[in-house]
Amino acid sequence: MSTDKKTLLNELQQAVIEGDGERAKVATQKCLDAGIAPLEAVEFGLRDGLKIVGDRFEKLELFLPDLMLAAEAGNQVMSVLEPIITAGGGESKSAGTVVIGTAKGDIHTIGKNILAMLLKLSGFQVYDLGADVPATTFLEEARKHKADVIAISALMTSTMPGQREVVRLLNDVHERESYEVLVGGAPVTQNWATEIGADGYSETASGGVALALKLVAKK
Amino acid sequence: MLDFFEIIRRAMNGPYYPEKDYDLKVVVPKLRQIVKKYDIRFDSKEPVNLSDKLADDVFAAALELCEEVGCYCSDTSRVIKFTREELLEALRDAPSAPVFGEGADRRAMVGRKPDSDIKPWCFVGAGGATCSNTDVYVRLVEGYGRIPLANSVTCPNLKTINGMETVAGSPLEILACIRAIELGRAALRRAQRPGLPIMNSISTAVTDAAKIAGSEFGLRDSDCWLVGFAAEFKVSFQRLNEVAYILARGGQLIGESGPILGGYAGGPESMAVVTTAYHMFSILVLRASVHLTFPLGMRGWNTNQQLMWSQSLSTQAINRNSHMPHMWYTYCAAGPMTEMNLQEIASGMIVGVASGGNIEFGGVGAARNVDHLSPVEPRFATEVANAAAGVTRAEANDMAKRLLAKYESQLLDPPKGTPFQESHDWGSITPCQQYVDLVGKVKDELRGYGLKLP
Repeated sequence: MSTDKKTLLNELQQAVIEGDGERAKVATQKCLDAGIAPLEAVEFGLRDGLKIVGDRFEKLELFLPDLMLAAEAGNQVMSVLEPIITAGGGESKSAGTVVIGTAKGDIHTIGKNILAMLLKLSGFQVYDLGADVPATTFLEEARKHKADVIAISALMTSTMPGQREVVRLLNDVHERESYEVLVGGAPVTQNWATEIGADGYSETASGGVALALKLVAKK
Repeated sequence: MLDFFEIIRRAMNGPYYPEKDYDLKVVVPKLRQIVKKYDIRFDSKEPVNLSDKLADDVFAAALELCEEVGCYCSDTSRVIKFTREELLEALRDAPSAPVFGEGADRRAMVGRKPDSDIKPWCFVGAGGATCSNTDVYVRLVEGYGRIPLANSVTCPNLKTINGMETVAGSPLEILACIRAIELGRAALRRAQRPGLPIMNSISTAVTDAAKIAGSEFGLRDSDCWLVGFAAEFKVSFQRLNEVAYILARGGQLIGESGPILGGYAGGPESMAVVTTAYHMFSILVLRASVHLTFPLGMRGWNTNQQLMWSQSLSTQAINRNSHMPHMWYTYCAAGPMTEMNLQEIASGMIVGVASGGNIEFGGVGAARNVDHLSPVEPRFATEVANAAAGVTRAEANDMAKRLLAKYESQLLDPPKGTPFQESHDWGSITPCQQYVDLVGKVKDELRGYGLKLP
């Protein structure tokens, strides 16, 4: 890759890291004008930038707002690239589709938001259903978006049964095998995940991403 | 001070923001700007803040933050805004010595200052942790009632009711809340301390309806009710409904907040500002008589250097500038009957008390594992907290450093510990000899640091 191209991709990467959507959009256009292939811009500009953001978040050098702004900047980049990729008969690679929300009764969102952002940064298509989500909504949204993963967060012991309810519902409608179910949240443990028949649990958001990648790859 | 009707009026009519805009376009940029303006910097070496000026700067920064961002009502998407004068008036008019409890256990809780030798109020017990059934619940609460230095208790969360899992929002939640408060009162009577206040309301409650319904079966106006914000600076109608009910019946509240390190609150320095700002919102929005904060890491504990420094700084900022009682909360990573857990407790209690806090203690093993709690940990916490009264911040800093050197490297993989049923004689609710010896060993270690433990 030429030095000029590298410089342009670096500029795109930096704009994404800094969460500057407008600058990222301009940098994307400059990459295209210089003849950089759209998928190359995704791979070396956007995705690498998002990975750096995720890594720095792990080290507490960046925080949740930075993740959110970087993800927004990523959306701006894709708004330029996606139509060109699609028109060319290609498709931008998605790591998989996740519907995510907090269990019925639970209004805490920070842990769920962090995982949603890290999943986005890792290339997942994420549908965030918000807080206090009934089991039926998880099912309906997973069907609608042809999800690979259903991720359910619970911050309170009393809302953890909402995670079990999703698994029960999937079994009742004979769709348990269609989705990988991940559970997390401060009071949640591996024992609980095993007890309710979830496919995975992680104590941390970054662990949740690794697990999602592993489970989707296995599908 | 503005009255509660005015708070509700503002929650209904304040400026409208989509939630994401309030987070990213209001709170985050203003917080970052203010932290920079007041030059608040994290000290990665000390677990205790040793600068009065920095504490006062954090308070000034928090006051400005409150004025700039207001408190967000998540049901109306409107911001409850306050002027600086209204915030200062609230600080002036806030209660300074609210009284809680009944009979022999009736007592005033006072605000403390950093380095103060006034004994801290000890609010101890489960801290939101869960027990599997009513049998465990009653024994635990009786055990808490028998802690001599306990001034109030926090009852556990009841996981099941009549063999059925307590599901939030279902009738089982209401039934479990009723059962929890009935049993809590009965257990404290068994402990011969029927007047001891239950200060966490009903931790089994998720919804306002369950908390209010449950309270009718035994919560008292003298208990003090716990009502919390959502991170960051958000309050729901469910919580405001609870406030409306409690005020009408003449009860008092603890306003609680748990900002998350790495979340919207950012790093340790900005989290100290956020934590301090909650104190003012607690007075005005939740009508609190006491404020409790528990800044947390993503893994659910707050006993590392970063979090202790941040909480120490905000605790000092609050206690140097407000007379309303403030509580320090320690959430440990390690489970019960482990040396690490006792070291975490000691570290938290010493730093919290020297920073001017009263203390709440519970949340052993990040309150994660069912039945992994016992009366020994809160009893130990009360003893250390009382011994720490009069310890200076500099001395506390040295002690905490020595303790951190022993356990901090284990925080990411802490021992789970032993469940209550296995660490205690079930009939007498007394700890096994192994646990008694372990507590003795850690106490000896603390005496070696200069702590005057009985």
